[in-house]
Amino acid sequence: MNAWLLTAALLAVGAIGPCLLLGLRGAAEQRLAALNLAATVTAVVLLLLAQGFSRSSYTDLALDLAVLAPAGTLVFTRFLAGRER
Amino acid sequence: MGRHTVALALLGVGTATLLLAAFALVLLPGPYLRLHALSPAAALGAPLVALALAVDTGPGRGAAKLLVIGLLLAAGGTIATMAVARTTVRAEREAKR
Repeated sequence: MNAWLLTAALLAVGAIGPCLLLGLRGAAEQRLAALNLAATVTAVVLLLLAQGFSRSSYTDLALDLAVLAPAGTLVFTRFLAGRER
Repeated sequence: MGRHTVALALLGVGTATLLLAAFALVLLPGPYLRLHALSPAAALGAPLVALALAVDTGPGRGAAKLLVIGLLLAAGGTIATMAVARTTVRAEREAKR
């Protein structure tokens, strides 16, 4: 196991864990904030796994997530705005 | 100082920022304070880790791709954070009425 895989494991437990904890309960805005952070950390974990396994083509997953995750968050904010009107 | 050492130093700082942001999200009280945990992760943590990976990969197309992903994460995360903040403000105003 190299430093990249070790860091990926650390972030998967230490950063995505708290995001899940907050994302599964509370107000919708709070859950959205946790989802936003979880998406960023997941993209980083995917990058680290690609480097750790020495498969550079796997970085495409992180690239896709970096593009699609903010779009998803923006869609959710539109839904929440619609609910409050 | 070798390239790998610089990459590991950048990785350490980036990972610490991401972990700190995650714990801040859980520990900070109130919706407005929690928003402060989002931007450091997107604007500092993720680009630093992408930079660490690019430094370790060395000059070339792979490193450029990693840097582009880092920039995308920084820009996309910041825009999403602003949108979440706007929704939070609106929800808090609605709750006060």
